[in-house]
Amino acid sequence: MATQLPLTSAQRTTFANRIAERFNQTLPLWLLLPTLLVLAVIQFYPGIYSIILSLQDRRAGAVEWVGFRNFERIFESAIFRESVGHTVVFLVGYVLVTMVASLAVALLLNQRLRLGGVYLALLFIPWVIADIIVGLIFGLLVVPEYGLLSPILSNPTLFPPKGLSIPSDPPPKPWIAGFPFPPAPAMVYLILASSWRALPFITLLLLAALKTVPSEIVESARIDGAGRLQLLFRIILPLILPTMVVALFNLMLGGINGIGLVFSLTRGGPGTATEVLSYLLYTIGFQRLEFGRAAALAVFMAVINLALILLTLRVSRVDERTT
Amino acid sequence: MHPARRSTLGIAATIALLAAACQAPAPQPAQPSAPQQAQPATQEREFITWYQYDETNTDPKSDERVGNEYLRKTIPLFNEAFKGKWRWVNQPQPFDQMATRLTAAVQAGGEVPDLMQSSDANLIPFLKNGVVQDLTDWIKAQPWFDDLDPSAVAACTGPDGRIYCVPVAMTPQIVFAWKDYFPNGYPKTPEEFKQVAEQLKAKGVYAITFFGSTAFDGEGTTRFTNTLIKSFGGTFDDGQGNMKLDTPENRAAIEFLREIIAAGYVHPRSWDGTTTPFIEEEPMKTAEAASFPTGIFGYRYVNPLKAPNGREYNKGNEEDMLDAITNGDVFIAPFFAPEGRKPGCGTGVTGFVIPNGAKNPEAAKDYINWIMSKEQNPDWVLGPGGGFPALRSMLPEIEARMPVAKAFYEQAAAAVAASECRPWYGTLERRNEAKKIIQTAIFKLVKEDPTADISAVLKAAEEEYNKGN
Amino acid sequence: MLLPIALTLLTSFKREADVLRKPPVLLPCDAPDGSWGIQHCRFVLEGYERVLIPKPAPGSLLGFELTGRMFSTYVPNTFLYAFSSAALVFILAGLAGYAFSRYRFRGRRLLLVAILAITGIPLLTNLLALYQMAVDLRKANIPGYDERMFMVLVYVGFQLPFAVWVVKSFFDTIPRELEEAAFIDGCTPLCALRRIVVPLATPGLMAAFLLCFVNVWNEFIAGFLLLTRREVRTAMFGMYDFLSQNIINYQVIAAACVLVAAPVVILFLFTRRVFFEAMTEGAVKG
Repeated sequence: MATQLPLTSAQRTTFANRIAERFNQTLPLWLLLPTLLVLAVIQFYPGIYSIILSLQDRRAGAVEWVGFRNFERIFESAIFRESVGHTVVFLVGYVLVTMVASLAVALLLNQRLRLGGVYLALLFIPWVIADIIVGLIFGLLVVPEYGLLSPILSNPTLFPPKGLSIPSDPPPKPWIAGFPFPPAPAMVYLILASSWRALPFITLLLLAALKTVPSEIVESARIDGAGRLQLLFRIILPLILPTMVVALFNLMLGGINGIGLVFSLTRGGPGTATEVLSYLLYTIGFQRLEFGRAAALAVFMAVINLALILLTLRVSRVDERTT
Repeated sequence: MHPARRSTLGIAATIALLAAACQAPAPQPAQPSAPQQAQPATQEREFITWYQYDETNTDPKSDERVGNEYLRKTIPLFNEAFKGKWRWVNQPQPFDQMATRLTAAVQAGGEVPDLMQSSDANLIPFLKNGVVQDLTDWIKAQPWFDDLDPSAVAACTGPDGRIYCVPVAMTPQIVFAWKDYFPNGYPKTPEEFKQVAEQLKAKGVYAITFFGSTAFDGEGTTRFTNTLIKSFGGTFDDGQGNMKLDTPENRAAIEFLREIIAAGYVHPRSWDGTTTPFIEEEPMKTAEAASFPTGIFGYRYVNPLKAPNGREYNKGNEEDMLDAITNGDVFIAPFFAPEGRKPGCGTGVTGFVIPNGAKNPEAAKDYINWIMSKEQNPDWVLGPGGGFPALRSMLPEIEARMPVAKAFYEQAAAAVAASECRPWYGTLERRNEAKKIIQTAIFKLVKEDPTADISAVLKAAEEEYNKGN
Repeated sequence: MLLPIALTLLTSFKREADVLRKPPVLLPCDAPDGSWGIQHCRFVLEGYERVLIPKPAPGSLLGFELTGRMFSTYVPNTFLYAFSSAALVFILAGLAGYAFSRYRFRGRRLLLVAILAITGIPLLTNLLALYQMAVDLRKANIPGYDERMFMVLVYVGFQLPFAVWVVKSFFDTIPRELEEAAFIDGCTPLCALRRIVVPLATPGLMAAFLLCFVNVWNEFIAGFLLLTRREVRTAMFGMYDFLSQNIINYQVIAAACVLVAAPVVILFLFTRRVFFEAMTEGAVKG
């Protein structure tokens, strides 16, 4: 790593200083080394390892190279196809609900509150609550008969014909064969719980972006006779679009890989109604100990993740801001 | 203070704290004997077990209170009996994780216990992965071996004819039922069941509740689905290790299940285990449901009880169910079966395995001999075991010591004798996967889409499993 | 927004008999005769007692000790993991962030983008490999090795990339002239880092610390899968344990939720400014 120290000329290069100089010239390397080492061990190596594992069968303790058979078996299985469907439904619902709600809250807050107020902080509590705990909290609310929400859910006039049971009501007949839409109540509830937890963070992002919208532009638009909605869609949204895109990808990444909520709220059920890819990876890998198949699934998911990240970077043009 | 110095100090303090934190010893499990005080006992070694129970959990209302209490009582007894030789250290594991964690630990060099409580359902997966020790020669040399029920030994025997687990209790599937709702006994045939259920429905009572959810990787397969399917003469396999579901018997069983659900005889809690595991037991406890088919071990969990006649059983332990049976409020029956068939029933054993890589297998063997003694066996069978004693001579012993268990065992024995009891999995080897696939298919057919084509769904499930063969 | 939390708090203070009412009651404030009034309210600590299981212990500071495993073992463990990881991230991200902010070297841009890309790689897909590594390390019998060290390393590895970005963007806001002045005074770069930059960047570094602390506190799946011994388990693992043992004891589960979530919620409320700034810095600008 070649370096250019700022203001090296300001330092006298005497013989005694040479060793210190050498150290200072390679300083960035030394500063970065620990971080790079940790990342190599915890992030890079496991990635390579997963790829190797996905080409092997290790079930009986012995290692056998099986080419792409693990991938074939995963992609062919009915539960994988179902899980992809559930993941898509979950993601779309999660992103839509969170984005719309966050935008509404952010617009509201932008008019009244200062960043950092106590009320704002209270509003943001869900963000620091663990997903496992969020799952338990939401689970307790809908326990049939005992849960505090159960009188509302089981009310047949609100939810005809017989009321709702989150833990056991199956999904309605799919509109398109093979695609799990409309989703089961449990899936809707899972989406709501996830959005509840993600809302504060996304609101914060959007709020910060809203603060950067120059008030002169808004004012002049208003003078030109723009209505509220027009103002929102023509002026404000285009201005905060980059942030919205960042938020969108952020949500998608979290949504694809989140497992804590499924784990503590629905365990993939009822039936397979909330079986998403992340939970499937857990069951295949750590319940059934089929590491090869699980690794194939992990590689598949990692590729999607990477694609999403690279897209985010492209869209938000972060790589141009690294100067 | 100069800001720069302050921050340097801060970093230094952080590093120091960090170093201290990393060196802090792990919170040790309660150690009954301080090392100094027991100088001659330096030979004493740790005997490590995995149970689903936790002796340190003193919560009187924990759902595992029966087993927790048993360990709390027994660990000091064992340590006293083997003073200077073994000290029993129990490491509780989540019940649905035990087998997986043991496999992972043995294969992967984790911490392996000397002994684990296990059912025979894990046997084949354990064998395939080389998890457990071959105990054949040792077990055959023990004085109590000839006293073991042959069917229990068979359940612990692998395909190679070797014995890999020690059976202590046998746990067949039976039906618990409220006498007030079935004054003439439990129905014998599906038709009879529908008649009684219709009468009960008129009284606002559901005839049945069961584990119908897909939670715990399809545990419902072993607790109810198997009983139903086998009673109708069905099976899950073709005898060659392939899954075979699409048979006339299985279809008939599923049609029947659809029928009684549609008629409103099944308590809705049966399916609610997704967010609240085991909530299907609740209607039985409160007598909102009239009967509850499950494993015989269910008596440990289904308490406290409130009978339809208002009588309450409030001890909050396994004695509640035994009392209710002795009093005649609850009775045990075989499941019903179509005319001319014997009811089916799943069976299994629960006992011990000694993992490969155990540090003190000798301790495990001492322990097993201790548990097989007349003093200890009844407590284990009624506590963590939750079933019939595998040692045939122990049944009178248990009844003599616990008169309250007499009626329970008599009725259970009669129910088992009237049924045909087999392990649910037949020749299927990947039992965790099979369980989930079966229960998901059943759930789909009876709950998700009661109009779906039964054959098609069952065939798809077969294919899903068999692809992995 | 706070409704689910409020309802959980409410449940955690109820008696079991009130939790199991059908239909459920929001406030257990009705007298046996059906009249309703504040004076009839029955709020108890039963749920909390059953999580903490306080037992009298004459020798200890408060006269009793908490024997519930959650607070005698799991929460202290979680604190250890969260604090150690956060401290390490604090140091490593500080060094790396400085290098990225102040030096122009070949490969800098690529490295920066790579680190940002890594932010998005989830723990989940790497777990199979990390699991195997944990196993190999245990088997290797390294003297002094403890599985908790590996756990901390994993957490650091997953919290570092984002922290590096947060810290770097904070360093970027500090004017270089200050350091240059220090160089003229004869300070080496390391000395300038220590004397000038670190104090000014403390908010950013603290943000990295706090974010890491909260994330590790809330992490479940890695702790669940990578740790074997009960003595080293995390609080989130403990929650899972708890669930299978308390089917209908909702007040106990609610109390456990409140107790385990409380520390980070309180921490967050006190340090909210740092959080807000860090998130907007890290996520909007970078």
